[in-house]
Amino acid sequence: MALLETDSIAVRFGGNVALDDVSISVAAGRVTGLIGPNGAGKTTLFNIVTGLLAPTRGRVLVDGADITRLPPYKRAHRGLARTFQRLEPFVSLSVRDNVRVAGQIRDTWRRRGSLGIGKADPRGRGRLDLDRETDRVLELVGLTDVADRDVAELPTGQARLVELGRALMTRPGVLLLDEPASGQTEQETEAFGRLLRRLAQEDGIAVCLVEHDVGLVMDVCAMIYVLDYGRVIAAGPPDVIRADPAVIDAYLGSAEEGAA
Amino acid sequence: MSTDMAATAAAGPVPGKGAGIEPPLLELAGVRAGYGPIEVLHGVDLAVPAGSVVALLGPNGAGKTTTLNVCCGLQRPSSGELRLAGRSVTGASAETLARLGVCTIPERRGIFPNLTVRENLWMMTQARSWPRGKQARSWSRGAQAQPGVSLRDVEEIAYARFPVLGERRGQLAGTLSGGQQQMLALTRALGTDPAVLLLDELSMGLAPRVVRELYEIVGRLAAEGMSILIVEQFARTVLPIADQVALMLHGRIVNVGAPSEVEEHLSAAYLGA
Amino acid sequence: MDQFLQYTILGLVLGGIYGIAASGLVLTCTTSGVFNFGHGSIAMLSAFLYWQVRFDWNWPTPVALVAVLGVFAPAFGALLHITIMRGLRETTEITRITVTVALTVGALALANWIWDPTVPRRFDYFFGGTNQVKIFGSRITYHELLALAAAVLIAVGLRFFFYRTRTGVGMRAVVDDPPLLQLTGGRPERLATLSWALGAMLAALAGILITPILGGALDPNALTLLVIDAFAAAVFGRLRSVPLTFLGAVVLGLANNYVLAYFPSERWTWTSNFRISLPMILLFVVLLVLPQDRLRGGTITRARERFRVPTMRSAVVWAVILVVGMFLLREIMAPAVVNTMVIGMTFAVIALSLVPLTGYAGEINLAPVSFGAIGTIIAYHYGVTGSGVDTRMTVWGLLLAAAVCAVVGALVALPALRLRGLYLALATMAFGVFVSTMVVADTVPRVLPLLHVEFSIFPNGTLNVPRPRLGPIDLADGGTFLMVITVLFAVLGVLMVALRRSGYGHRLVALKDSPAACATLGQNPVRLKLSVFMLSAAIAGLGGALMSAAMVSVNPDRFVIFVSLGLVMTVVVAGIGYVSGAFAGGLLAGVGFVALQNMFDKVGTDHASLSSLFSFLSQFSTVLPALIGIGLARNPTGFVDDIIRAFEVFRRARVMLAAGLALQAAIYLLAYTDTFSNWWFVALTVLLWGIWPRITPLVSDRLAPAVRARRAGAGALPAGPADGPAEVPLELVGVDVPLTDEHRRVLDRALGLPETAALPGDLAAVPGRVTPSAGIPPAGTLVPAP
Repeated sequence: MALLETDSIAVRFGGNVALDDVSISVAAGRVTGLIGPNGAGKTTLFNIVTGLLAPTRGRVLVDGADITRLPPYKRAHRGLARTFQRLEPFVSLSVRDNVRVAGQIRDTWRRRGSLGIGKADPRGRGRLDLDRETDRVLELVGLTDVADRDVAELPTGQARLVELGRALMTRPGVLLLDEPASGQTEQETEAFGRLLRRLAQEDGIAVCLVEHDVGLVMDVCAMIYVLDYGRVIAAGPPDVIRADPAVIDAYLGSAEEGAA
Repeated sequence: MSTDMAATAAAGPVPGKGAGIEPPLLELAGVRAGYGPIEVLHGVDLAVPAGSVVALLGPNGAGKTTTLNVCCGLQRPSSGELRLAGRSVTGASAETLARLGVCTIPERRGIFPNLTVRENLWMMTQARSWPRGKQARSWSRGAQAQPGVSLRDVEEIAYARFPVLGERRGQLAGTLSGGQQQMLALTRALGTDPAVLLLDELSMGLAPRVVRELYEIVGRLAAEGMSILIVEQFARTVLPIADQVALMLHGRIVNVGAPSEVEEHLSAAYLGA
Repeated sequence: MDQFLQYTILGLVLGGIYGIAASGLVLTCTTSGVFNFGHGSIAMLSAFLYWQVRFDWNWPTPVALVAVLGVFAPAFGALLHITIMRGLRETTEITRITVTVALTVGALALANWIWDPTVPRRFDYFFGGTNQVKIFGSRITYHELLALAAAVLIAVGLRFFFYRTRTGVGMRAVVDDPPLLQLTGGRPERLATLSWALGAMLAALAGILITPILGGALDPNALTLLVIDAFAAAVFGRLRSVPLTFLGAVVLGLANNYVLAYFPSERWTWTSNFRISLPMILLFVVLLVLPQDRLRGGTITRARERFRVPTMRSAVVWAVILVVGMFLLREIMAPAVVNTMVIGMTFAVIALSLVPLTGYAGEINLAPVSFGAIGTIIAYHYGVTGSGVDTRMTVWGLLLAAAVCAVVGALVALPALRLRGLYLALATMAFGVFVSTMVVADTVPRVLPLLHVEFSIFPNGTLNVPRPRLGPIDLADGGTFLMVITVLFAVLGVLMVALRRSGYGHRLVALKDSPAACATLGQNPVRLKLSVFMLSAAIAGLGGALMSAAMVSVNPDRFVIFVSLGLVMTVVVAGIGYVSGAFAGGLLAGVGFVALQNMFDKVGTDHASLSSLFSFLSQFSTVLPALIGIGLARNPTGFVDDIIRAFEVFRRARVMLAAGLALQAAIYLLAYTDTFSNWWFVALTVLLWGIWPRITPLVSDRLAPAVRARRAGAGALPAGPADGPAEVPLELVGVDVPLTDEHRRVLDRALGLPETAALPGDLAAVPGRVTPSAGIPPAGTLVPAP
């Protein structure tokens, strides 16, 4: 079942078309990859889905409901959460408080967990036991050891985990991750891949992953969309994508054109 | 650490240039740099020998743009050195480097969108109006003093090369198509006769036909003997014109060599083995 | 019809002058990125200087004009940019606003110092007031024609400059993309300096042209405010567009004159107040219609401000220390000093209102004292019982004052909260000016329609605000009042710390750090900002009502915007993120600098031979706070933070602390027994605690070997700075974090630098990590093709 869908999204900046007719669907319980060369429009699509940017045309649907006109915070109430490519940690707070404050924000929501997901947590709609939940999430993403540090002290890889933990505290149905592995070491990336699979399979979260580490994407994603020039040029499971000549061209530049 | 090596390496046979003792025009030695607490470059050594085209390739997030930003002065390295023709210019501001003849076309935003085409061209005339070759003379290719370029010169060159820009000289640059914007940006390299040209992702978001057209011009500049550093993620587009290729991964340069040698590594680096 | 034409032309003249001032503001703001709240003070200083050279020294007009417009103003503007404003990159909006506010406050003090405010100064129209021309039957002076011509010339000239000169085009390019301008060889910093020079020149021209039109004597406050009126026009141009700014200015000028012409000033006693307030009202209307800012990612400022969070325990301990300390002080204070101290403490309460709003949430209110005015008015009209000497303010009156201020705060803030912080600053400033020109200026009683009662907000220009009575505690006695207000501050202060540590406080801080991340986590940014603004306004209202009660009798001058600006500036300088910053800042703004000035005056009269020196020092102490404020660019976290750090040496030197306290007790006893005066007490106390933390490390270093021997092995970092890591056992440091990074972090903290965190792993040093093509010789060298 597709939790998140975009329906023919288009956006222009000035005269430039950043996205054109992009329709993707992100299903619960698995990781959906979104790859493509720089400037293909991946982050722009995330900004449109989370409401930081308004599309010129098209709709964003969560669980079948049109949320295109909702402000960002109301979308979060519907179960969307994201991380940022350019890190946006709360630099005045410790690692633990960064994660915890997300739960504190969640406790102020009027409506919670409208997606009806969060199988692992039968109390998913209620208030959280903040301390316990914070500890659980820190443990899950592997930040327990650095929980009391200033977030600004962390290396990039761990700072990205803080953002992931923060997003998880809101018990999202849809999790949008914008280059979460960049800045991580290889071991960290490996562990991260396992974590993603676990979030999708055990907690039933619909994970949408934008990532340049194509190895990671191929490894964890059940479904991959390839964006190029703001359009979806290919969609399918990893082995199909890997073999698609259009994808290879998109990444390396078209062979016969470039040779000119 | 390996600055000597870099210098010696770069002094090797350079296509189109006879003098082998010349230091590379542009050189990075052991450069570390980052944003705030995040270090992106972990000690980069790179040299652009006079008159050659170096392509800096690598997947996204490898640190290519940061490397370029260090080269053009927009980013100060936390350690290491930037040299122009053997002289250290570490910490010099971007405008100083620009006036010394380092011409940088940044990715996607090489133009001022709210200025007209003509006004954009006007801005390009700042590059050489000072120091009138005084500092440039000491190192820039040979010992030519470069007089300031006048708006008329730049306009002439631009409109001759790209007639479409002439037709739209009064139009706001932001309303041009992506390809036309890059043509306008590239005019700076054509019109101001820089010593080094730094190109960042010239092809980004452009149709292959346009990309081909742009790189034809770059190729011609290279043939005229301009030293060029190209950052590009579409490797195949630049391999034909590159003399050397540096492959970048995780903030380090992992492979340097002739295009033919590097090509086999590319697929692995980009798509994961 | 003739009248209409006359007022239209005069409106255009006024609009033109507004336009000159506002276009200068927009020019500096777009090119340098700093909105200059001190724009008006440049106009004011220039007008005074023009008076000086033209009318006092009788220079010929052209020479005087060249001296002021051609030399002084541009030089002053350029100097401001080079010495101060350029250093404001990578600071928060709060710091940038505060520094230019400090410029305003400082310029006012300077003007009052140089040009004795009791001497009236006028200057005449250019070409005299009688040289007039008739245009369609209306009389226009040459001066007004000149102003109009100047405005048109400048509008056209700026247009030409921006589109027909390379420098001007460069300034537009800076707005588009400063790094790209650098890459083309342009120099954004030089352009910014030039824009400050030009902006200052335009401000000066506006100041000189408007002064005769206003009539009356030169008044620094009024002149500064007049150019602040131009803010409305600048906001109309969205701080970007010069043509729109001129349009806004003309609308403003015309509206002003039509109100003058067609509002029945006799029946509506508030007409003239309304006319003066018009720019601020229009500013509000413009804010209402501006479209909402888009939330962006990547807005994280690498701000240099870092505030630490105290524990609840230390907050309570310090609250108790404050109350006990104040009690002991009260015992040695003269009654007059007690009353001054009460006023100072009420200022501290108003200052406290800025801690959650500005310190935690990163928003700013430039008019806290104006909320105090609202609080005062509410408490005066609706919170008083008894009569004659038994008149008292009730608790309910105070609470009502706080509640009404919260509601007013919501109304003021709501239009601006959708926009970036600068607009909230402008909205609150407009509110502050509005309160002093419209609300507290409403002094003439009139019969209210419908209600048929005679009413005025500020009857006869003086409110005799009674002292409060809280149940059995009567605050008519100054000593009691002092203790009650101190306890109130202590309690509120502890509550503020509790607030910062609560989920609400975390959300505030998170919103300040990253609005985009907060919103995507489900936080409604406007609602959260609104709630904290209301809380802040309520505290300011409460503090203001108490301030008025402490002063017993207040007049509208107590609530002019400059009092607020001075307070905000002092609190930010002291440390806006701390309750102790509010305490220090409030006391300094309320009584500190005045006391300093009085002291120098008194010493000056006592020692006639040195009187010129002391009168200089006394005047200097009026400019001092502004100088400190301008210095904020170098230390944005505030001086309280430095003091706290300095005192941390006592953590490992309890003996020295005890010795210091013993000395303090001795000083206190000497004062208590009247052996010496309170001035000596203050001076010696300041001296003691200024010196003691500095000599402590020297002494304890000498003692240290002995101590270390006793605690063998359990050591802290040797001679490490007295920060957190000093407590970390060495063995842990070695394992968990590389020692060097930790050291660097500590050092950075001590130096107040931005934290350079642990580097993301020196890759070469991490075993087991191999770069993909490990066989290649020294990474990065260009190996020539074989």
